[in-house]
Amino acid sequence: MKTRLPEHGPLETPQYWRTLEERLETPEAQRAAHDEFLPGAAPGTFDDVHGLPPSQSGFSRRDFLGLVSATAALAATVACDRKGQGTVVPYTRRPVEVVPGVANYYASAFQEGRRVYPVLVKTREGRPIHLTGNDEHPGVKGKTSPRTMADVLRLYDPDRLRAPKAGGRTLGWAEAESQLHAVLTGAKATGKPVLLISGAVVSPTRKALLADLKAALPTLEHLAFEPAAGDAAEEAAKASYGQAVDLQPRLAKAKVILSLGADFLNGEDPESLAAWGAKRRLKNAHEAINRLWVLEGPLTLTGTNADQRVPVAPSRLGAVAFALAKELSTKAVSLPAGADLSAIAVGVPQGVDIPAETWSNLVKDLQHAGRNAVVLCGAQMPAEVHQAAHLLNAMLGSEAVAVRAAEPLATVKDLEGAVQGMAAGHYAALIFWDVNPAYAFPRAAAWQEAVAKVPFRAWIGQVEDETAAQCQVLLPENHWLENWGDFTTEHAEVLQQPTIGTLYDTRQGEDVFLGVIRALGGHAPASYHVYLQGRWQQTLPLGTTFEQALHDGLVTSESKAATPAFKGASVAAAAQHAAASKSEGLELVLFPGFATHDGRHANNSWLQETPDPITKMTWDNPVSVSVQDAKALGIQEGDFVTLSLEGATLRLPAVIQPGQAKGVITLALGYGRTTGGVAKGVGANAYPFMGLDPTRANVRGGARLAKAGGKKDLSRTQSHHRMEGRDIVRSLTMDEFAHNPKGHYHMPELVSLYEDQTFPDHKWGMVIDLAACVGCSACVVACQSENNVPVVGPEQVARGREMHWIRIDRYYEGELENPKVVHQPMLCQHCDNAPCENVCPVNATNHSPDGLNQMAYNRCVGTRYCGNNCPYKVRRFNFLEYTAYKTEPEILVNNPEVTVRPRGVMEKCSFCVQRINDVKIRAKGDGRAILDGEVTTACMAGCPSDAIVFGDLKDPKSKVAQLVNASRAYRVLEEVGAKPAITYLADLKNPAVEGGPHAS
Amino acid sequence: MADVNRKPMMDRAAALVAGPFLLGQRALSLVFQPDQGAPPKTLKEAPSRITVTPPEHAIKRRG
Repeated sequence: MKTRLPEHGPLETPQYWRTLEERLETPEAQRAAHDEFLPGAAPGTFDDVHGLPPSQSGFSRRDFLGLVSATAALAATVACDRKGQGTVVPYTRRPVEVVPGVANYYASAFQEGRRVYPVLVKTREGRPIHLTGNDEHPGVKGKTSPRTMADVLRLYDPDRLRAPKAGGRTLGWAEAESQLHAVLTGAKATGKPVLLISGAVVSPTRKALLADLKAALPTLEHLAFEPAAGDAAEEAAKASYGQAVDLQPRLAKAKVILSLGADFLNGEDPESLAAWGAKRRLKNAHEAINRLWVLEGPLTLTGTNADQRVPVAPSRLGAVAFALAKELSTKAVSLPAGADLSAIAVGVPQGVDIPAETWSNLVKDLQHAGRNAVVLCGAQMPAEVHQAAHLLNAMLGSEAVAVRAAEPLATVKDLEGAVQGMAAGHYAALIFWDVNPAYAFPRAAAWQEAVAKVPFRAWIGQVEDETAAQCQVLLPENHWLENWGDFTTEHAEVLQQPTIGTLYDTRQGEDVFLGVIRALGGHAPASYHVYLQGRWQQTLPLGTTFEQALHDGLVTSESKAATPAFKGASVAAAAQHAAASKSEGLELVLFPGFATHDGRHANNSWLQETPDPITKMTWDNPVSVSVQDAKALGIQEGDFVTLSLEGATLRLPAVIQPGQAKGVITLALGYGRTTGGVAKGVGANAYPFMGLDPTRANVRGGARLAKAGGKKDLSRTQSHHRMEGRDIVRSLTMDEFAHNPKGHYHMPELVSLYEDQTFPDHKWGMVIDLAACVGCSACVVACQSENNVPVVGPEQVARGREMHWIRIDRYYEGELENPKVVHQPMLCQHCDNAPCENVCPVNATNHSPDGLNQMAYNRCVGTRYCGNNCPYKVRRFNFLEYTAYKTEPEILVNNPEVTVRPRGVMEKCSFCVQRINDVKIRAKGDGRAILDGEVTTACMAGCPSDAIVFGDLKDPKSKVAQLVNASRAYRVLEEVGAKPAITYLADLKNPAVEGGPHAS
Repeated sequence: MADVNRKPMMDRAAALVAGPFLLGQRALSLVFQPDQGAPPKTLKEAPSRITVTPPEHAIKRRG
């Protein structure tokens, strides 16, 4: 096919690649480049479609024709069946808030570890169906994280516990609570301690409740356990500031950002992503841009967006960071009082491969940027790296990071202490509240043995997990969309309110503890709602009502707490430790899974099927190995390997990761669960590899890797839907942008035999800025939630049958050891001359008068000619029945505005036509024109860096119409003449140039 | 000669009925192979409907 490309294609363009096979030009890759689809997704025989081995059916044309006639007869028979017939009835007494067909929106909030996400919840007929960020919140400004958006699915998880249980028997709340109350009353009387383990406490009212509980039960001990928060960060904060702190980057103020293994662009922090996007969406080369330096071992999403990236093993990052501080101190950047760096030599530390020119540029950048520079450290990095980052920020006087005091978290060391206490018979009772230490504690056997020695164990949670299996009394908890709560964020006090009545006989955890306080003789209101409202009434600003706060979801406030002071005296010991730090053998880095986080999201199929932004893996956590180590150990993609470290051993598949530092292997946490209908058996549990030394629990030296024999067919999407290596993705340096804004590309002259299509009212179009897109996959999850995109499972993904309407293509360029990376969201391009429309034999796909390439699902007969003819490979075919057999509660998450597609039907991005029509109807009702920005597709609304802009190309004043004429604008595969409605803006990189300008 | 080769009417009728029936059976056995994630032959008893109730005391933003 390449030989048939027209001559007017790109001239001297960089060669981009997506897989190692492509880069090495193996025979398999060359063959695959000519095959448009994987075998499992290719238009093939009857056997292929039905997943049969090639010779099993022995199907002939004669049989096929016979089958068609038989099927027609059977279909006619089945059509007479009355089963499955639904009934539509009106409300006899309509709830006040519910108007059929009209969506309600509620402000609420979601918590994940120490992070709080203010959200706006869309409900239809009383069912929450879609989440976006709260647009009133001054920090997140309507954006949120992929995992937050996906958490609406957890509300309808069929595995949720629906009533209290004790000893495997379902019972009422009164009986279950009486058991708990009796034990706690006894503990109070005897003075024996009770241990409560919960997640992080970032709610002021929950904190007050726990204080009331402690007053009622003086022997209560409390640990806040967040296994993915990074114990090393906690230890370093205590050393550097004398207390736990929470760091919030303020990237709007940053001209130079240095990441020491920090993955702040991974989608978890919408505020940082918004600031990043704002600094990257440049109209011309004269606008100010920031510069991102990344020193890291694994390749992170932040690393893929770096302007300058250097692979450095995490164990050596501390030495590098302290060496930077030493170098800056010799250039008139003063050290804080008491800081001693005598153990550190000037220059690049020994054994670290950073070119002298790069080092010099980095030092100059930090020095010149001064308080507009910021150093961020990854939560999983060793404690001395965090301490070095704190030192550098103190030296620079950085204004681009806010340091706030935080409630302390328990480290693995604290849990180890608790285990010893349990084993010694110290505790009368254990209460687990929304935590799963039985799964996440590294020494699982010791944990189980110790827990068994505590006479009474109670569990409060949603889905029975590994910890629930060790408890006698299980108390089912509400989903947060059924809960009351509040949280403190940097800019506002945020409220959480229920958006649906409880689906089952569940309660929120706080209500259980209010009941405990009353049972122990304390005074407590009847519900947490009353408790919360009472506290808020006392602190609300004058003129603001609680109802107004609920309506907005927040009350704005600026933190008045003093910034914790940096302790210079802590530097000397950390610097010595960093200088002496070295790793023997392979260095294992354990990090929270993109989909699963610490394991709490493992039962969410939307997240499991969202490809990891770096490895493009779904439904698994293979060990990532560097290119150099894979070569040395003879490991190929998908090979089973044995990973062992200090007695823990796992057999799991390996993937080879370009850009990963030599000697570093990485493994995601949150997989290998033993409970949950979705989570059970997916991937391997990496927690046994976590260290018991909290200063370096996630970075472990001395790991061993060996081939274990066998190979796994990976459910990995990075080689799917390839477009034959054509000129698809473009990236410019700032120097190129200044001197040649179009790059080395030229627009081919397009000749058509057809007249241009006319659009009488609107012409919908989209612009995607690759410079602002970080590849976080928020758009993928937002689209899945909005458009009822089905989940197909790992086997189908491995066959190339994933159904996402939008995918993020990740392209590498350059050397294997440290490639440049560009992310490109790819979705239906809604071409004016759509190649898919011409070949549909039943006109199921056609063009609307406002430029949409639309699908009539009822008309589609599934020939897949359209998918074959689509140059962008964005059409998805329902090979199997993915949705029809789902029942309540799962189907309650469906968006009623979007048809659920059956088997045998082709589907694809619709530009969220239901949203367009909603706005059209409202504008028509108001007797006005549609406003620019009024129509937002789900991907655009979900994109935290505002890389996606949608609008009417016929309105010359619209943002989208102006952006399509930008100097960086291009259309993918323009030369084929399809006239796509999506315009891309070329990616921008801002590398430091020797002798060039530095941030000042 | 054509009349001699023609099958009796009953045979033709039986073939007309049995043909689609047998092919239909084969189609079902092909499509719903147990290892292909096929739906169960008899659908499970549909669980009782979940009652969706509006939240108490919540204040909506818009709708």
